[in-house]
Amino acid sequence: MGNAGAGFLKGDNKMNKLLMFHARECPHCIVMLPHVDRLEKESDVKIERLEVWHNEKNADLMRSYRDIIEPKCGGQLRTPTFMNTETNDILCGEVKYEELKDWATK
Amino acid sequence: MKKFWRCHVCNDIHFGIVPPELCPTCKVLNAYVEISSEEAQKICVSTEAKMDKVEFRAAIEKFTEDNEFQVNPDKNRVDTLMEGIFNCEKNHGMKYCPCRLITKDFEEDLKLVCPCNFRIHETYKDKVDGECWCGLFKRR
Repeated sequence: MGNAGAGFLKGDNKMNKLLMFHARECPHCIVMLPHVDRLEKESDVKIERLEVWHNEKNADLMRSYRDIIEPKCGGQLRTPTFMNTETNDILCGEVKYEELKDWATK
Repeated sequence: MKKFWRCHVCNDIHFGIVPPELCPTCKVLNAYVEISSEEAQKICVSTEAKMDKVEFRAAIEKFTEDNEFQVNPDKNRVDTLMEGIFNCEKNHGMKYCPCRLITKDFEEDLKLVCPCNFRIHETYKDKVDGECWCGLFKRR
């Protein structure tokens, strides 16, 4: 499972602008991860996958975005959450591939 | 604000704004006294009432028995979620929902303990095919 972003900190210019906060045992995330793989294969989009229930650094990063994520995700830090760190645009939950693609490429 | 209460007769613990008038275990009236969270924790930990997956599964089946929702018939999904719930308990102390991250505010995070109050969530409320956020419970 990709955890390449585990060492990144907020504001680090090496961090991909698109993040996916996911959890290992979250069925919605298990559905969405192959969509992310496919999107990366079929486009220039790169999404940083950050597992949050087994990686405290990633969890702290997600918590640091509470004010941005919660209003868009039922008032909670739900997984999966996709976030554009430049625009603070959020996509929350399990969606169809096309919806993820539209969100990531707009 | 919610507080911990202890029945001075049988040591039942209640967490709520007000204590029950009648203790549901020993049936004594006006038996609850307010206690600290530390004391509540000591009493709860000393009972060693940890559940394994089979017992938890039986508990949630019983919980759904007389309700309009059921445990999701999708076995793979339930197995994945059970794994997550028990990993949360092992690593973070409580059976938190594997699909929502804790905030580290204890009281706020109580809302994430499974089973949560999913009936108020937009994924369940007023939906014919409503589910809790993670999908462990779904409308019959």
